Amino acid sequence: MSPTPLLRIEDLRTYFYSRAKQAFIRSVDGVDLEIARGETLGIVGESGSGKSVTMHSTLGLITATPGVISGRVVFHDEAPRDLLAGLDACTRLERRDGRIMSVEKDNRAWQKQVERNLAGVRGGKIAMIFQNPKAAMNPYETIGAQISEAVRLHTAFKDPAAARERALHWLEAVRIDSPRLRYDNYPYGLSGGMCQRAMVAMALAAEPRMLIADEPTTGLDATIQARIVELLEELKTRFGMTLVLISHDIGVIARLSDRIAVMYGGQVLESGPAAMLLEQSEQGHPYTHALLASMPRAKNVKDGGRLPAIEGEVLDTINVPRGCRFRERCQRIHDGIRARCAEQEPELVEVTPGRRVRCWLYQA
Amino acid sequence: MASPILEVKGLSKHFAQRRGLLGLLSGNAGGTIPAVDGVSFALAEHETLGLVGESGCGKTTTGKAILKLMPVTAGEIRYRGQDITSLSPGEFRPLRREIQMIFQDLDAALNPKMRIESILREAIGLCEPELDADGLRRRTYELLELVNLKKNKLANFPSELSGGEKRRIGIARVLAVRPKLIVADEPTSALDVSIQAQVINLLRDLQGQFGLSYLFISHDLPLVELVSHRVAVMYLGQIVELGSAPRIAHAPHHPYTSVLWSSLAEKRSREAFPGAAPAWGVFDFERPSGGCRFAPRCPVYAARGKPAECTDPHNTPRLREIEPGHAVACHFPL
Repeated sequence: MSPTPLLRIEDLRTYFYSRAKQAFIRSVDGVDLEIARGETLGIVGESGSGKSVTMHSTLGLITATPGVISGRVVFHDEAPRDLLAGLDACTRLERRDGRIMSVEKDNRAWQKQVERNLAGVRGGKIAMIFQNPKAAMNPYETIGAQISEAVRLHTAFKDPAAARERALHWLEAVRIDSPRLRYDNYPYGLSGGMCQRAMVAMALAAEPRMLIADEPTTGLDATIQARIVELLEELKTRFGMTLVLISHDIGVIARLSDRIAVMYGGQVLESGPAAMLLEQSEQGHPYTHALLASMPRAKNVKDGGRLPAIEGEVLDTINVPRGCRFRERCQRIHDGIRARCAEQEPELVEVTPGRRVRCWLYQA
Repeated sequence: MASPILEVKGLSKHFAQRRGLLGLLSGNAGGTIPAVDGVSFALAEHETLGLVGESGCGKTTTGKAILKLMPVTAGEIRYRGQDITSLSPGEFRPLRREIQMIFQDLDAALNPKMRIESILREAIGLCEPELDADGLRRRTYELLELVNLKKNKLANFPSELSGGEKRRIGIARVLAVRPKLIVADEPTSALDVSIQAQVINLLRDLQGQFGLSYLFISHDLPLVELVSHRVAVMYLGQIVELGSAPRIAHAPHHPYTSVLWSSLAEKRSREAFPGAAPAWGVFDFERPSGGCRFAPRCPVYAARGKPAECTDPHNTPRLREIEPGHAVACHFPL
């Protein structure tokens, strides 16, 4: 890894206050991540594990009034820049007995600060593609108009005619056939896979340093998923794009990622080189191992045709238990560490070079 | 095959075409969209038949037609030898109990204003109206135990349950009427991997316990391979290949099946067809008016220099057996 990562997330916490439950939903609860230049980081996790909220927080996309974000997100392009600077000043928390009882947030100031922090970064240096391309694009404008808008905003092609040519170039780059015809299509006239391509073109049109792909293949058919995965792979090789890939589909993550971070209950439980995590999962976090083992693959089937499921339910991020968050579903917990698992939350520590695991099994 | 529990012969369901964009896209001047077009298969007792295909290929429509949830255009559905297509709703009613469906969208399938207890009791009451309050309670607990749910969930509303729990309630409600044949439409599509494995194990246990037969509809290929004895692959309303699950997954004969399986993200589709990398762009649905429907996307068609028989409207490939228990609809099987 290069000495200065392109993006460094430090102790990121994103809480949403639920008035009805008088409690915080701790969607992201102390995430540390580094993304090096040119690498692809895959973030996997089940729904509600905080993988999307993590990346949305770094791009100031958390607008919900009760959302509170703390931590540091340093984007190091030419000079380091904290994307979360000054946000603390916009919120006031009322505490009673150590618990946060209510949140007051100056939304205007917050929004202004977010825009100041992210000016020129969001959309320009860091672009994002979303799970549902049809919802993410403007239904009232042609895809061509939307892409050339991104070109004019973020690149040196300011002239409308030049921007149009540039937009056509990107439509071609994402392999949309007959781009000149498609340029004038509205999003509803495109199929799901085609629309996802158009959104990738729109993200690329800004010539970003980094692309965040949030569930780019979810909801698409298998054959179309494969095309989108190939497209992302090509972006890596052709443009050397730094890519953050968020998905619950371990297959997609496995194919594209250089490094993988596994999230559970708002935390990173394990991170490391993709091959190491996937192939030596028994030497990593019990959750990663159980997750891989529960995938419906022939090699995972035990006698009687059963799949080794992870019993129990996905973590409730309101009543986060003391100690390790995965404790109640863990199959490798043993009496030697049981007391510690219940009492104290393990830290994310390096167990082998490049691999960090948050588990007492590895901390004598 | 020993007496099949379900036999489907030449099932077709054509939807009247809406005007506007849909009509323009399908390029079908005939005024109907053949969502299901001449589908035939048989399902044996205690068997799981997987039905796979891309969205819009007619999997769910086939399932709904079997339950008589929509009138069919043509064809015959036989349940234990009895033709059920022509039965009136009243005549079908006793059979409805034996043929049940696990719906894809449980937020829509469970009444949000009923507590779990009432949802289950309603179903039990339909099946066993003679039960008294005590019997009802016992049967409710029995069902909960079958699907591994705690009793304290009975007072909850569906919205208070997690995805996996809702799925279990959906299964418990289906089991309440003691069915024989279950059409499971994407039973795990909205679930996380770890919960999906729990539900799959549950379905498998129940099959062993009650001798159920499943028509398992899904677009998740590895999952279908794992749970099914046999697999039918659908493409644009037709079955293009039907065979045992391992053969379909590892030795497919239809180019579409091969493309489908090799498109799994872990593998690379280029490795499957080293000579003919799938053409970029040709992935939108095209519905040719005649001949093989897969031809426009078919790597074999392209590699063989577009042979005329593939697009000959009078020579649509039919499902034919090419080895025992394995049928394929293709002029040039792999």
